[in-house]
Parts: sequence; C-alpha cells; structure tokens
Amino acid sequence: MRGADLLVSYLKEEGVTTIFGYPGGAIMPVYDALYESGLKHVLCRHEQGAAFAAVGYARASGEVGVCLATSGPGATNLITGLADAYMDSIPIVAITGQVPSAVIGTDAFQEMDVLGLSLACTKHSFMVTDKDELANVLKQAFSIAKSGRPGPVLVDIPKDIQLAEVEAALITSSKDSIDDFDKNTLVNAKALLSKAKKPMVYAGGGVGMANAETQLQDFVDATGIPSVTTLKGIGSIPNSKPYALGMLGMHGTKTANLCVQECDLLIVVGARFDDRVTGRLETFAADARVLHLDIDPAEINKLRTADVSLCGDLQTILPALNDVKLSIAEWQEHCSALKQENLWDYNAPYRSIYAPKLLSRLSEKLSDTSVVTCDVGQHQMWVAQHMNFTSPKNHLSSAGLGTMGFGLPTALGARYARPPEDTVVVVSGDGSFMMNVQELGTIKREQLNVKIVLIDNQRLGMVRQWQQLFFEERYSETILTDNPDFVTLASAFNIEARTITEQDEVETALDEMINSKGAYLLHVRINEADNVWPLVPPGASNADMMEKV
Amino acid sequence: MSLPQQQLQIDVNKSPEVLERILRVVRHRGFKVELLNWKDETSQLLLTVSSERSINLLTSQLIKLFDVTNVIELNDVAQSKSA
Repeated sequence: MRGADLLVSYLKEEGVTTIFGYPGGAIMPVYDALYESGLKHVLCRHEQGAAFAAVGYARASGEVGVCLATSGPGATNLITGLADAYMDSIPIVAITGQVPSAVIGTDAFQEMDVLGLSLACTKHSFMVTDKDELANVLKQAFSIAKSGRPGPVLVDIPKDIQLAEVEAALITSSKDSIDDFDKNTLVNAKALLSKAKKPMVYAGGGVGMANAETQLQDFVDATGIPSVTTLKGIGSIPNSKPYALGMLGMHGTKTANLCVQECDLLIVVGARFDDRVTGRLETFAADARVLHLDIDPAEINKLRTADVSLCGDLQTILPALNDVKLSIAEWQEHCSALKQENLWDYNAPYRSIYAPKLLSRLSEKLSDTSVVTCDVGQHQMWVAQHMNFTSPKNHLSSAGLGTMGFGLPTALGARYARPPEDTVVVVSGDGSFMMNVQELGTIKREQLNVKIVLIDNQRLGMVRQWQQLFFEERYSETILTDNPDFVTLASAFNIEARTITEQDEVETALDEMINSKGAYLLHVRINEADNVWPLVPPGASNADMMEKV
Repeated sequence: MSLPQQQLQIDVNKSPEVLERILRVVRHRGFKVELLNWKDETSQLLLTVSSERSINLLTSQLIKLFDVTNVIELNDVAQSKSA
C-alpha cells in the first residue's frame, strides 16, 4: 500500500471515525486514499475551521480530534487552531501534506517550513523523513496528544512519502501511565488541609482533562470546602452545589472573587494562575497558603509558590484527600450568605433584550447533555456567567488563547462528537461570527443541526467596553453598524433565521429555535451600551471589582 | 548589571529540529544564551543561560520537550566579571 493508504488505515485502526480537513496539492494522495475509504471526512471551508472542528470534537467527546490540510497556506491556516489547542491542552492530531522531500528547502510552490512554525504552538511535531517510520510516527503522535497533559501534535508528511510503497504495520497508540504522586507529601497536604479554617477549591481545566469531575465533586461533598472555577473549569462543579461560588477572575462572580481573597488555603486543582484569573498576582489570595494539585510539574511554582504540591492523576490524588476532617461551618455560612446576597439581577426595565437574561433562560430550556460553544468577547463572558453546565465537555470556550472565530467551527466538531439528541448551540457575537462565517457552508453541505444565537450589538463589544472605561470613549474601529443582514446571510446557506429586538419576543424565539428541525440562526439585537459586569480592571486586585458605571 | 548565570546539561533524542526546540523555549521563557556547546555524537547540549528568572522556570519547561531526555543543572556559574 501507499503511505497515504497506510495513514487512512491507521486512522481507522486507531478508532477515528470523523476527520475535518481541506484538500490541496501536497495532500492529494491522502484524499485519494480517503475516497470510498469509509472514513468520514468533513470538508470545512477554511483550514482554521477544520482545526477548530477537531478541537470541538476533542473537547465534546474526550477523544483525540483529527484535522487534515495541504502544505503551505493550508498548514499555516491550521496554526491558530493548534495554538488554541495548545493553550487549552486539547488533544488533536493535525496532518499536513508537505512538498516532496527532494524539493524541501528550495522554496517550492506551496512550500513552508511547517515544522518550524509548529514549534511554539504544539506539544510536539514531526516531519516524516523515512517512509518506514510513518506508522511509528502516527502511533507516537496519537500517544503524545492524549498522554499526560494533553495537547496538539502535528505530523507533516512529504508527498513522496504519501506515494511510497510501505508495509502495513499498524500498532495503535496508548496513553502513557501517569507517575504516582508522592505518598510522603500526602501527609503534608493533609496537614495543610486540616489546619485550614477558610479553605477554597480553585478548579481549572485540568479537572475535565483528567475526567476527574466525579472525584472533585466527591472531594467537595466530603469536606464541604467551597469552590470556584476558572473559565475552562466551568462544569466541573455544578453551580447548584451549595458552596459552588461560580467563576472567579476578571469577570468572575463577586462572591467567588471576594471569598478567594479571604481564604486561608487555596486548593488549586488543575489550574495555573492565569492572569485573567488572578488579577494583580501579588494581591491574589495574598494571605492564603497554597496546595497545588496538577499533572504538569511545570505549573508548580510557575507563578505562585506552593506550600505543598502533588503531581499526578487528579483521579487518584483527590480521593486520597477525602478523609480530612475540617471544622469550617462558619466559613461555609459566610460563603453561602455572600452567594445569596450576590445572585444575578435579571431585572431589565427596558424593552430591548438583556443578553444575560436571555442566556439564563436558554440555559434553563436546554437539557444537561446540550453543548454550548461560544466565541470570544462580551457574549463569551455572559455565557460563562449566566448559563449552567454539568460537565466541562458541554461548555466549549476558547480560554487560554481567546480566539474569536472559535464558536462556529467547534460546534461542527461537537455535532459529530455527540449523539443527535444532544443539542449543540453556538453563542456568538457579531464580531466573532464573521471570523469563521464560511463554516455556514459546512453546515449547509452536511445539513448539520446546529443552533446559532448571534448576539448583535453592532460593536466589537468587549473592546468597545474597554474603550469606554479605559480609553476615554474613543471608539476606534469597534463600530459595526455596517454589519451584513445576518438573516439574509443565513438564508443563503438554507439556514432558517429570525431577528428579535424586544424582550417579549425572547421566550417564543428560543422555543422556536430549540424545536426547529435543522440548523437555525437566532439573530438577537441588543443595546450597545450593555457591558459585562463585574469587571476587575487590568492591573487591579480581584478585590477591586467594578460593578457598572 | 550582570544577570545570574546557570549552566545546564541537556540530553536529547537526536532529531534535526531539537536544537531549535530548545533554543525557542530558552528565549520565550525569558532566558539569554551566554554560551552553547553542542556535541552531536553524544546528543548532548551544554548551555549557559542568564536571566532574572529562577532557573526552575526553564528546566521544568525543557524537560517537557518530547526529545529532551534529561536536564541537569550544573554548577552555578560565577557572576560575570565585568559588572
């Protein structure tokens, strides 16, 4: 068989059912091998869309996502998706065609040093230089992507290797075993815990990546310790738990931020002290000792020194801490009282639509198995604040890289990752939506049942908000009153669509969207003056939140 | 003002791009290469770096690289004489 056939056989052997890609010259042998192969290939309409679809697939399923592109521009278009996956530790494998080995380094047509480009935005990358190594490289690529702290891996395959005759020797990938955490340190961790009067769990994306939501919830149930989550940690502890205080950080809840500032022990679970979480780092939970639990030793002491750290699998670390006895009733009451005091206020005494209230209603109407993807900006923060999730696999948000254009293609990936009965909703903004709007073509081609809530304030809203607050209302290049007619745009792709502008239209419009048979775009016009609150200003402590101006 | 220097021994799996990988991480994490000695036959890189940052921030990132098999912090190199 040809190298290209080996690749397709390998993917099938690996259990891959769906891949996302875009053909081109240097990957044509692989597309030839895909033809009538039985492996589902989804033609996205831009390679960035294919990379994000693979990310969405991986995040919504927990499996490795796969994308495919040609050399040169095909590969460079994948880069943003790889960077996003790298920042959020998402296991994807990107396969790129490369010009034939003989002309690499001659500035051949559509040649680009993709291995060089990949260094900063992948966990690892390969260029296959020996046809007999192809099978082994593929096995390593999948193994690396999903082992330890997951991440994206790129495999660049020159065209001559795709065409070369190779032996079919397929061994599929395996997850490396995780080193056991240090049992001696466990004693110190328990001692630290048992002394705490005001402990706080700060749960990040690592919980979901370790599939340790159950263990984390058992831990907070057993100990009664209050908890906050990062943007990527949302869903790892449902907001309905009595001491779950919601998201912390720049647009976190007032309760989460104030209680973290007051705590005397911060139990960091699969999180990394991101600047959007901590605000001014020196002031972040300044009086707290730190117990850091993570799979990646490089995160320990990176930004905040840990008093005690345990490195390993959260699935085994967390149960080992369950039996610590604490007397924290006063602290629990304090956190709980603050939570009750600071419930979201959905009172919006005007006719125009208040997006937080709409999203809260949407969340109530969706089942627990629904997936919501979003883009980046004000609507993303409103989703994080006002929608409730019971699994991180149900909330796909570009956290580390903050990539506009993330929402629509990741929803395509999620659509393939989940059964038809799980509703998939994209919440986007009018700025972000236009960044990968070409993927409406994929929805049309594949007739995908994806619901789109497009929150339109005719602005690049988050930048506008910062211009209002921090740049003397100088609205430089953030006014989008020249947006296209989104309903007409949707109709060009055979997607049912409707615009709403007033609060009394929300209920029926949401029901109509949810009950529609196929894809649906709900275009929601909102007031451009609506901002995201609370807000920790840049450089400030999380204790100094702004709450409206 | 001279910055603290540290010498590292980095053992690697041979691959054409392994030096690029290491040097990229060194730069991106805020370290400057003062001296570099690469022995292809032993797949070993001796690197003297300087930075205001703690060396652990670099070594913990280097050891994560798939083609890096070992990172050893050698003696603390004396501060530059021409301060």
